[in-house]
Amino acid sequence: MAALGPTPVAAAVPPAGGPALSARDLVFAYGRARPVLNGLSLQAGRARLLGILGPNGSGKTTLLRILVGLLRPAAGEVRLASVRLADYPREALARRVAYVPQETHAALGFTVLETVLMGRSPHTGALGFEASGDWLAVREALRMTDTEALAERGLDELSGGERQRVILARALAQAPELVLLDEPTAFLDIKHQHTIYGLLRRLVRERGMTVVCVSHDLNLAAAYADELVLLDGGRAARAGRPEEVLRPEVLAPVYGVPVEVRTDEATGRPYVLPRPPA
Amino acid sequence: MRTRARSWAAAAILAALAALAPGCGDGAPSAPPAGGDGRPLRILSLTPNVTEILFAMGLGDKVVARSTYCSYPPEVQALPAVGDTLQLNLQEVIRLEPTVAFLITRRDEVPRRLQGLGVRAVPLQSDRMGQMVQSIRTIGRETGREAAADALIQRIGADLDAVARRLQGLPRARVLFAFPMTVGSSRIMVAGRGTFVDELLSVAGAENAYPETADWPTVGPQQVVALAPEVVIINATGDDAPPDRIQVIRRAWDGLPAVPAVASGRVHVLTESYLTIPGPRVGLAARRLAETIHPDMPPEGPARTEGGP
Amino acid sequence: MKVRPFTSRGYVISIIVGLVVWAVVAAVAVGVGGRLWAWGSAVQVRNVLALRLEWVMTASVVGSGLALAGLAFQALLRNPLAEPYILGVSGGAGLAFILGSLWVSIAWSPVFGFLGALATVAIVYAISQRRGRLEPYTLLLTGVIINAFYAAAIMLVTALAKPEQRGDIALWMMGNIGAFGPQWTLVVVVGALAVGVAALFAMLAKGFNLVAVGEDTAGALGVDVGRLRIVTFVAASLVTGASVALAGPIGFVGLICPHLLRMVLGPDHRRLVPAALFFGATFLVLADLAACLWEGATNRALPVGVLTAMCGGPFFIYLLRTRWRRSAQLQ
Repeated sequence: MAALGPTPVAAAVPPAGGPALSARDLVFAYGRARPVLNGLSLQAGRARLLGILGPNGSGKTTLLRILVGLLRPAAGEVRLASVRLADYPREALARRVAYVPQETHAALGFTVLETVLMGRSPHTGALGFEASGDWLAVREALRMTDTEALAERGLDELSGGERQRVILARALAQAPELVLLDEPTAFLDIKHQHTIYGLLRRLVRERGMTVVCVSHDLNLAAAYADELVLLDGGRAARAGRPEEVLRPEVLAPVYGVPVEVRTDEATGRPYVLPRPPA
Repeated sequence: MRTRARSWAAAAILAALAALAPGCGDGAPSAPPAGGDGRPLRILSLTPNVTEILFAMGLGDKVVARSTYCSYPPEVQALPAVGDTLQLNLQEVIRLEPTVAFLITRRDEVPRRLQGLGVRAVPLQSDRMGQMVQSIRTIGRETGREAAADALIQRIGADLDAVARRLQGLPRARVLFAFPMTVGSSRIMVAGRGTFVDELLSVAGAENAYPETADWPTVGPQQVVALAPEVVIINATGDDAPPDRIQVIRRAWDGLPAVPAVASGRVHVLTESYLTIPGPRVGLAARRLAETIHPDMPPEGPARTEGGP
Repeated sequence: MKVRPFTSRGYVISIIVGLVVWAVVAAVAVGVGGRLWAWGSAVQVRNVLALRLEWVMTASVVGSGLALAGLAFQALLRNPLAEPYILGVSGGAGLAFILGSLWVSIAWSPVFGFLGALATVAIVYAISQRRGRLEPYTLLLTGVIINAFYAAAIMLVTALAKPEQRGDIALWMMGNIGAFGPQWTLVVVVGALAVGVAALFAMLAKGFNLVAVGEDTAGALGVDVGRLRIVTFVAASLVTGASVALAGPIGFVGLICPHLLRMVLGPDHRRLVPAALFFGATFLVLADLAACLWEGATNRALPVGVLTAMCGGPFFIYLLRTRWRRSAQLQ
């Protein structure tokens, strides 16, 4: 139902046996409350940036927490490179999938370098001894996110944009093949929004990483994502390329507001303007 | 009534004298008398009444250390204090090298500790007159001074007997024996039935106004009124003994006119600490209590000649 | 401060250094505290040596246990103020220990201490967790309330106890190392427990770091947060209960030791766990030595728990008011 046809871009990347991540018929509820997810399916192609959109309470964060193995669905299953997520030992999963949550505590005064080193946690042994490879990965992650200069600073001394880049650096240090992000640009100004998304695009292009990113911002997602999934009422209302998903007749019922969709002449990507009745 | 009072006193004394009979050990470890291992006798006394007993038996020069609370006879003050059975300065004990320790405690860790340091620890009991007499016998056996122990027991028995004799024919009074209330509380600790002080009251021609068997229960003002003692004896020692404190205590009792003892002006504040010490001065304690409870009792003189051999 | 790679070589070296520092301090405490040069006979020296050794070992295992428990609670609750006392764990151990020793048997009271600590953690945890997540505020407040309840319960028990037992309770509540108890056996048990818990925490240290940053982050980095929390709370309450049973509730060790260590070593629990094992021991040995010297000088016993509280309280306030103000704030 939410299967994505191969696009020219996806075909350019060597397909190593199916999608990087797929979820089928997910059902999930907190306690006895109304289900948050109700038969949701989606796929993320290899080396693609998948944007997950949806109104408040449509289950975006819950979906992400299920995809990264933090929650178990009541029904349905998630597969990572065709292996069921539930069959991965926790640390083995953490070596392949990185997660950037919305919220990060700056407790106990860890520095940027220490924070990024934590990304190596699933690669180090029981006592957490670091090898030179671990430090190389950390240096590289700092360099990619342009946070080398911050290395000795405390996490609590950083601005929101700096902190988000550091958390992204931690995810990169993890050396994952799949990164899931929960609204990485919430609370950031437009310059920092584009820095983060530009970085995500580079990861996809240069490293062949698969990125799944929850966003509230339709236009940001439209500008950077290869594919989009629009959630509504715990299901995927529509999935596909941005121009397939971002259509007035699709968005209006989901968000409950009439919209106008135009095309950005410079990029060819759609952008959305809300047109509430006056 | 009178005959029963007399029989109580007699029973107490008989109990004391019965302890003179040989061969009834009180559970103290049976072992060769101290000094039998060739070491000179060096005594550690961890309880005030035991210290008094040791000095009364002429063993004062053998005592090398005392508890913090031992203060009688006055010469014990010169001895080093090593704490008490709750907090014992064991390094000080090691320094003083006692060979035997006498102590009263329900904590068996203390004797075990002392044994570990090579000190023969002899636990004693003195919650009742009979136990005190047994303890004296045990001390005599442990120190090889059986004769001195027998003499002390005999003297105590004679002292008590002398008091009882002077009370012959006098009515028994209902007496409440209490400690002063602590600051900020209206509750007082009283002698329950079965305590050593209860036995002393019997000897001193009184019936304990507190009717139940209990160690040292605390009672409130209402309960004191309900107990309706004819005489109240308050034992104000130490910090409670200064005149201004006694004033405070008296004023507090004056607030309970419903108590017969208060109404008839028979609330007595006694400051002697030996009233509650089960040691060589129990005869003195009984006499002090008797003279307080029965101001009309015959003087000592005739009683002594009468009771003489 | 410069972060250096965390390697097995550095680990072994720092463990050796910790061990040596502790051993030297312990040896000095045995010698100085016992004034070993001042004795006349070999028997006296042997007796004093045995006694001091026992007390120094008691102080060591209790200090280690409390420092480790404090460190673990602070990490899991993301709150540098968390401590066995603040959470009510020590109070629970204390109440159960007192009840056990008064009405069951002195010999079994350490077991009651364990159970009291465990039960308290279970109660506090059950009240404060929601959907498997822990609310740090709720947890601390629950601890405060539970503590108040235990304090009242201990007062009630004291009021009901026989007069001659009240002294025992009051003295024990002050935190006392030179007590008479069934020492060596318990010292060995608590010591083994402290070392075992240190080894366990060393393996969980990566997880402590991650949980401090966020539970989802920890989960996504391969930590089973639910299991980590339960294992840690059980281990920390066991070692707290054991320490309380051995020496009474000695305050502030679980608060001060981790703070001092963080000032020197930074916040990384992989370094802090082994350090807490040795530094907790060293710290309480020094405190006990001070108490011992005081007793030698004045012939008045000074419970070491009173000493740590008297010095620890002001010191902690000083820390709070100066450089640790920001990180000591509730998250």
